[in-house]
Amino acid sequence: MTLMDLPVKGFMASERLWWLLLVPVMIALYVWLINRKSSSGIRFTNTGVLGRVLGKQNTWLRHVTVALSILSLITLIGAWGRPFGLDRVPRNAATIVVVIDVSLSMEATDVSPNRLAAAKQAAAEFTTSVPAAYNLSLVSLSGSPAVRLPPVTDRAAMLRAIERLEPQESTAIGDAIYAALGSIDQAPKVDGNKAPPGMIVMLSDGTNTAGQAPLQAAADAGKRNVPIYTIAYGTDNGYVDLDGKRERVPPDKQTMSKIAQETKGRMYEADNLAQLNDAYKSIQTAVGYVEVEKEITATAAGVGLALALLAAIGAVMVGARWP
Amino acid sequence: MLAEPTGPSLPLNQLAPEAALRRLELAIVRRLEGFLHGDHLGLLPGAGSDVNDARMYQPGQDDVRKMDWAVTARTTIPHVRDTMADRELEVWALLDVTPSMNWGTEGITKRDLGIAAIATIGFLSQRMGDRFGGLIMRPDGIRRLPARSGRTALYGLLRTMLTTPIVRDHAPGTMQLWDGIEQMSRMQRRRGLRVVVSDFLTPGDFELDPNIPPPWERSLRRLAVRNQVICIEVVDKHEIEFPDIGDLLIRDPETDFQRYVNTSDPAARARMDAASAAQRERIRIALRRAGVGHIQLRTDRDWVQDIARFVLAYRRVASQLHAPPQGVSK
Repeated sequence: MTLMDLPVKGFMASERLWWLLLVPVMIALYVWLINRKSSSGIRFTNTGVLGRVLGKQNTWLRHVTVALSILSLITLIGAWGRPFGLDRVPRNAATIVVVIDVSLSMEATDVSPNRLAAAKQAAAEFTTSVPAAYNLSLVSLSGSPAVRLPPVTDRAAMLRAIERLEPQESTAIGDAIYAALGSIDQAPKVDGNKAPPGMIVMLSDGTNTAGQAPLQAAADAGKRNVPIYTIAYGTDNGYVDLDGKRERVPPDKQTMSKIAQETKGRMYEADNLAQLNDAYKSIQTAVGYVEVEKEITATAAGVGLALALLAAIGAVMVGARWP
Repeated sequence: MLAEPTGPSLPLNQLAPEAALRRLELAIVRRLEGFLHGDHLGLLPGAGSDVNDARMYQPGQDDVRKMDWAVTARTTIPHVRDTMADRELEVWALLDVTPSMNWGTEGITKRDLGIAAIATIGFLSQRMGDRFGGLIMRPDGIRRLPARSGRTALYGLLRTMLTTPIVRDHAPGTMQLWDGIEQMSRMQRRRGLRVVVSDFLTPGDFELDPNIPPPWERSLRRLAVRNQVICIEVVDKHEIEFPDIGDLLIRDPETDFQRYVNTSDPAARARMDAASAAQRERIRIALRRAGVGHIQLRTDRDWVQDIARFVLAYRRVASQLHAPPQGVSK
């Protein structure tokens, strides 16, 4: 594990970082010593020929040594300030509400065989790949969103619920988010009285046509720290024939990304089954881990020690007169 | 004397053994001009000891005691014997006191060795009526010490040269050796002996090829057209033999050169010695090309002996060495 894996997010003893003021002082001292013209060294008259014959001595080794020691000073002061980074550890328990759009636009065939069938297939795959301890819940997104399955760990029930989804009239994204939030509240408590963290995975292919404003619902979800991962589903030239009239049903990517931003989730785009599976897979890695603060003093001290070692080697090389 | 000196490293009374030099004489081969009667051959006719030519007697102008009776008898027209005037010698010495001369490893700086050389040349040219003047070349300008005759005046000049304030390292000023030589040839129009005392090192010059003339050669050549010029090259032992003193910072008193040098590296020392030798050879060749006398003095050697040896050899070679260029009278 290196510093690159764990970028420093903060310091536990940040008042010690005031010692970093030493660094500019030392750099200024070094520059001043370099530029001091007289009073050191010996005078010699014939330096034109001397400089030509003896060539330039590698002063870079000197500079590199000083730079290394200053770098190690910075790192060690940083380590003394007890830095911490963010580590990702697998989540023990969670409630994931899968919201799947079942509006009539899901019958569009721009995704083979049609949008709803592909979505069902991807959701089923997602169901089987989620860790067994997580609660899964299913909410259908239509004009009247309904909780099709309250949060359970029973995967067979989930798969059956996904299979039973049927197309319905209109799209109420806001209502669906409220329904999902209500479903999260039904999750069984674990570890005494604490509910597992909830998150919503919402797949939608159309614009909001009914119910409450989606952004208002997203704001409420954000207040409850429930991230919403949205999937804008379908192609821009998808269409359905309704009552003999051809309607275009492009996905509303703008609303989807706004909802995701509002709740610190992420928006994915998918216009075929493979992309949909990819989106679910990355959602799973996003929700499957939790970030915790972890002290990385030892790592920083190790890097500082390595730099100090290099500086020491450089100092020996500069100081030693090789035979 | 590696550090900047604060005063002269040699007292006035040790500059030159005056009594010992009295028996030596510096050969003056170029003709001189002047107004006073002296011991050296002049350029124009006048009252003197050297017979020149016979010419017709001008009543009222010529001295009857100068009648050339043999020519008068043969031609039946009165003739007088003409003589060349004997003139006094005027010596001017240019002393380079730039910071690179304030250096020396053998207890005496190159600058003071140069003053000692001027003293020695001065005592050598103390014949009747001869005058000796000095020019002190500092980086910011030239100080002129007027030419006077007599040993008291010479002592005064030497004392002034010794007590001239030491030029600090990196002193401002753009005066270079060739500027000083140019100024000397402009300032002193009357023919005579000119002595240039310097280390002939151009700051920052690393050229070793003798076919490329040093920047001061042209000025020196111009000075040598009308004058007899002797160049005294002042060197230190450790400018020729690079010393072994370990790894240390070396800086130049004139340029902003500054570098850590490992002087304990024998290969580097050998290269440096070879380069110094080539550089000195280039200076020697350039001086020879300019038709001037060349004395090399070292701070670790007896300069009186070196100059005496030069003077003895000089008697034989001087007339050829200082042959003037075509079209210029001797």
